[in-house]
Amino acid sequence: MASTQTNVDLSSAPATSAASSLLISLVPLPQEAFEATLSNLALAFPSETVFVATPDATPQHSSGSPLRLISYIQATASATPWVLTAADYLNTYRLAKENHASSCVLLGPEAQSLHPEAIRALAKSALQCDLTLAHYDLGPHEGLVNSAILYPVTRALFSTRPRFPLAIDIGLSIRMAERLATIAQRFTASGQNDAFLWPVSEAASANCSIAEVEIGSRTFLQPAAPDLNALLAQITASLFADVDAKAAFWQRARGTQPPQIITQTAPVAEAPPDIASMLEAFRLAYTNLHEIWSLVLPPNSLLGLKKLSLMQPETFRMPDNLWTRIVYDFILAYRLRTINRGHLLGALTPLYLAWVASHLNLVSNGTAPEKHIQDLAIAFETDKPYLVSRWRWPDRFNP
Amino acid sequence: MWQQVELALSQSAHRVLVKLASFLPGLVALLLAVIVLTAIGAGLAALLRRTLTAAKFDERLARNASATISDWSPAHSPTALIARFVFWTCVLIGCFIGISAFDSAYPGDAQISTYIIPFLTHSIGAVALLIAGTLIARFLERSVLIGAVNAKLQYARFLSLGIKWLVLVLTAAMVLDHLQIGGAVVELAFGILFGGIVLTLALAVGLGSRDIVSRSLERSASPLDHIPGDPDYKAHTPTETLRHF
Repeated sequence: MASTQTNVDLSSAPATSAASSLLISLVPLPQEAFEATLSNLALAFPSETVFVATPDATPQHSSGSPLRLISYIQATASATPWVLTAADYLNTYRLAKENHASSCVLLGPEAQSLHPEAIRALAKSALQCDLTLAHYDLGPHEGLVNSAILYPVTRALFSTRPRFPLAIDIGLSIRMAERLATIAQRFTASGQNDAFLWPVSEAASANCSIAEVEIGSRTFLQPAAPDLNALLAQITASLFADVDAKAAFWQRARGTQPPQIITQTAPVAEAPPDIASMLEAFRLAYTNLHEIWSLVLPPNSLLGLKKLSLMQPETFRMPDNLWTRIVYDFILAYRLRTINRGHLLGALTPLYLAWVASHLNLVSNGTAPEKHIQDLAIAFETDKPYLVSRWRWPDRFNP
Repeated sequence: MWQQVELALSQSAHRVLVKLASFLPGLVALLLAVIVLTAIGAGLAALLRRTLTAAKFDERLARNASATISDWSPAHSPTALIARFVFWTCVLIGCFIGISAFDSAYPGDAQISTYIIPFLTHSIGAVALLIAGTLIARFLERSVLIGAVNAKLQYARFLSLGIKWLVLVLTAAMVLDHLQIGGAVVELAFGILFGGIVLTLALAVGLGSRDIVSRSLERSASPLDHIPGDPDYKAHTPTETLRHF
């Protein structure tokens, strides 16, 4: 499990015990999954004492076990249990402080599928870096919102490298945990326990060190009611609000990330997904939402969308710079409140589906998915001056 | 006879001039009251805008409320809306004070404010109704349009226009009723129009939803239920391999 430093060189960092004052925080898990996770943790830390915080009922462990179970009470069941929320960060910091832990690791849902070595690598990196994020091996048809929006926007704006800004397995130094808990408290105080936090942007704006650890593959809990419109709006609203809040930082942040070495994975024997329904949704939206899009997008982008709407399914391809402009213009419209924010994010869904269709077309034609995603991220980095310019002088161009 | 004509003309001119002379101070008082209160309103609004901006009111409101007032007026921040509200309240108070001053300055027996103030308040109420109705119509139109497009309804535009005109017709009827114009004719026309739009929408949605119902039944039916020879049957291509999150 290789660890990748993203903004600091820690090669000279002192070698420390992976589990000195370490707190591992778990989210609610079914009984079997909880026991399997505990077994994995025992394998990961055979000789070190580790605090394990869990909201589940703690079983009796033998006195010889290195795991010290701490139970905590979760105020309310999370409405978004598939991702880490403000309440998770707050609970983790509180327990870490109470138990004088120097670092913490948050493991998301389905933590039983994590390899013990991966957990150990996360813990080790958490001792050396302020923020450690998991890097997953995903299939070409997985984590598409992350690939289309979250990763390229975070990488371009905050000049950071982590591939999964909303990773569900995270290592935190106590300093970083405190910082995130302070942010989380603002949300929980107003009853928004399920608010998303963006640790990468927090770490970048606080000049904290960020690292990434290869986790390999793991299973992910999927949203119970996969309503794409609602979920996409929820996630993008949170990301755009975070971008708005940290504008003073990312306008100054410079630099591009070095190209990542793409390991060509063997083609996955999966049936190519049906893109016809996505294209149908996009074309329907093009005929009906053109008026709303024209309030947000400049004429060039509208022309690009017109060309897209006329393309045949086999050759359907959304250029990376078009998608970049679309996302940037939606971020700007979110900031300027050009139209109601709910409407704005609703109008993004068909465009996102068009990007997904284009991405899947490329992948089925033999392009490595990771290469396309890295190219897209570079396009976002290249076009960042456009966003900065329009952010500072929004009236210079009014679509 | 010409003398009588001259007398009548000079008397009427005199009366008009006297009335005008007694009318002018009241008019000046009205204008002064409006101008002074407008200036006070502008000052208060500016002060409020600065204070709220310094207190980061917009950010606090956005953090504390999931659906803020900005949802209804997206182009303006809550601070701008509050400042604007204070400004227009001052202008309104200025109008009332001015009319009252005009009334007291007017020497005649006719109590003008008795008629003007209720009419003005009705007019202001009607304008407020019209603005609110237009805003709600636009908001609902876009909400329905985006929701319907994302639900892949082919008649999304038609549905959203129907909703928009329902609200606009309702607003127009309320405005006319508030101004007491038209009487029973407005009620009758409104009933016919509203009922007509609802019936049209119901028919359109009912007829247009056949596909959705078919698709829904197709999804709920097991794969073994379909008739192999059915030419309309399309095999359901699995899209479950896609994971957006």
